[in-house]
Amino acid sequence: MAYNMALLLDSARKEKIKGTPVEQQIQKLFGGEVEAVIMEIPEEHAKKILDEFTTARIDSRGFLEDIPVALKRAIFSEVASKGSTGPEVLDATLAKLDEIKEEAKKESEYIPPPEI
Amino acid sequence: MGLKIDMPEPNGGRLVDRVVKKPEIGAKMAAGCPAFDIKPTMFKGSPIRNVYREIVSICYGFFSPVEGSMVREEVERVLKERRLLNDCIFPYPLVFDITEEDLKGLGVEEGDRLLLRLKGQPFAVIDIEEIYKIDTDDLATRTFGTPENNPEVVREPFNEKHPGYVIYKSLNPYVIGGKFFIVNPPKFREPFDRFWFPPAEARKEFKNKGWRTVIAHQTRNVPHVGHEFLMKNAAYMGDTEPCHGIVVNAIIGAKRLGDYPDEAIIEAHAATNEGKYIKPERHMVTFTLWDMRYGNPIESLLHGIIRQNMGVSWHMFGRDHAAVGEFYDEYATQILWGEGIPSFGFEAPPTDVYAGLKIRPQNMQEFWYCPVCGEIAYKGNCGHIDEKQKFSGSFIRGMVREGVFPPKVIMRPEVYKAVVKWWKKFNYPFVNSAYLEYKNKEGEFDLPAMEVSEKR
Repeated sequence: MAYNMALLLDSARKEKIKGTPVEQQIQKLFGGEVEAVIMEIPEEHAKKILDEFTTARIDSRGFLEDIPVALKRAIFSEVASKGSTGPEVLDATLAKLDEIKEEAKKESEYIPPPEI
Repeated sequence: MGLKIDMPEPNGGRLVDRVVKKPEIGAKMAAGCPAFDIKPTMFKGSPIRNVYREIVSICYGFFSPVEGSMVREEVERVLKERRLLNDCIFPYPLVFDITEEDLKGLGVEEGDRLLLRLKGQPFAVIDIEEIYKIDTDDLATRTFGTPENNPEVVREPFNEKHPGYVIYKSLNPYVIGGKFFIVNPPKFREPFDRFWFPPAEARKEFKNKGWRTVIAHQTRNVPHVGHEFLMKNAAYMGDTEPCHGIVVNAIIGAKRLGDYPDEAIIEAHAATNEGKYIKPERHMVTFTLWDMRYGNPIESLLHGIIRQNMGVSWHMFGRDHAAVGEFYDEYATQILWGEGIPSFGFEAPPTDVYAGLKIRPQNMQEFWYCPVCGEIAYKGNCGHIDEKQKFSGSFIRGMVREGVFPPKVIMRPEVYKAVVKWWKKFNYPFVNSAYLEYKNKEGEFDLPAMEVSEKR
């Protein structure tokens, strides 16, 4: 069974996918207040992510959530460079798993709070 | 028949009050007793439960009519029928567990009084009625049920992925059964102090506010707008008019990695009324100390009891109430309160059985954002099933983690600011190992220094 993952978009991220096929996949959520690209996560990739990141879970919508920002950032980087949300994006991302896990480890100790 | 609903009586008819208010009397009660420093229940190096929270909730009457650590016969009756020896409904075994080594070191026996210390200070005493051994695997399994024995609602065998099962499985093998007294009352720290309304105080406060009917919202989370709409709409239920009050009762206790810190949860709920999304005159935030067992229908009974004891008339129950994973049917709580679960001792809903609960259930479906309706919609009303956009706590946590200010249609800015306030304090928006260490060391309150004589 495939799951989904939402990649949130801000203006910088939108700029990075401008002109690629992914731009056509942008979805407006919650009355246009949130923009995201929803990508499908095949079961074998989802299982790998759930196994490697203990906090990761499938939520009630069938979305893969509670995953480190480092992983989401790496997936988005591959989405932008490949101009795709296909499984090759996840293959390329998961090939860098050690590096991502190292980043995620730092993230479990400190996330800078926003200045508001 | 009158249509107006009065404040329900406590479970069992009277509120338990086992708190000694005068320090000199507390010190006298503890004098000459062997002393034991309370220790947390640990699993894989992390504290997952601390019995002091149960002692506070018992002695201040949240769990009325429970008065202490259960004796063996009472544990058995709770497991079989979810009733105490006095016939009152109660869902969970509550025990003061101890290692064999500690028990031998204390040298106590039935009839003795034991002083329990916390953070180096005298805290409570237990008058020992029985000392017995438990089989923690059996206790954990029977507490939550099995697919074979409870086929109405249990879908998967419980295992170490279930935090409540792990609590019972990790208990020490000996239990000291007996009644507690708090001899040195806790002084709650900020921000908990302003939300501390034990049942007797909550009842007084409701009367002061002129609330006859009150509905409770259970929480262990920071509220998103879906929660806010649940509260506001569920509160239309009342008697001849909507409920006068909406009470949020946060469960404060051991946390899982990735949850929000307790401090953020409680202040974020208060931010809902401070921002006037629900008028402060109608909304009140409170808490109960309890290390959640995530027992879905079983936990909902405890929630019903706590809030009935507080004087609440209605309790809202949603999908996956107090649940984790897929161990129970997602509507197990609503099945219990709607028709009963015979295998757990309820041939009928807990309100409709002998010595039943007096609080009334309000079984609710969920709220989502509907782009077609252009508003937050109730599942029972909105037919745009394919277009719905569900509120997901984990989706919002992802947004927070990525540093995105959530739009107000998802999380109110005042609520987000409460999250950020505690993020700045703990350098992290969610529970991590540093927060767990802090929580284990500091807890929620301090205890005044108390001198206790070694002689009776």
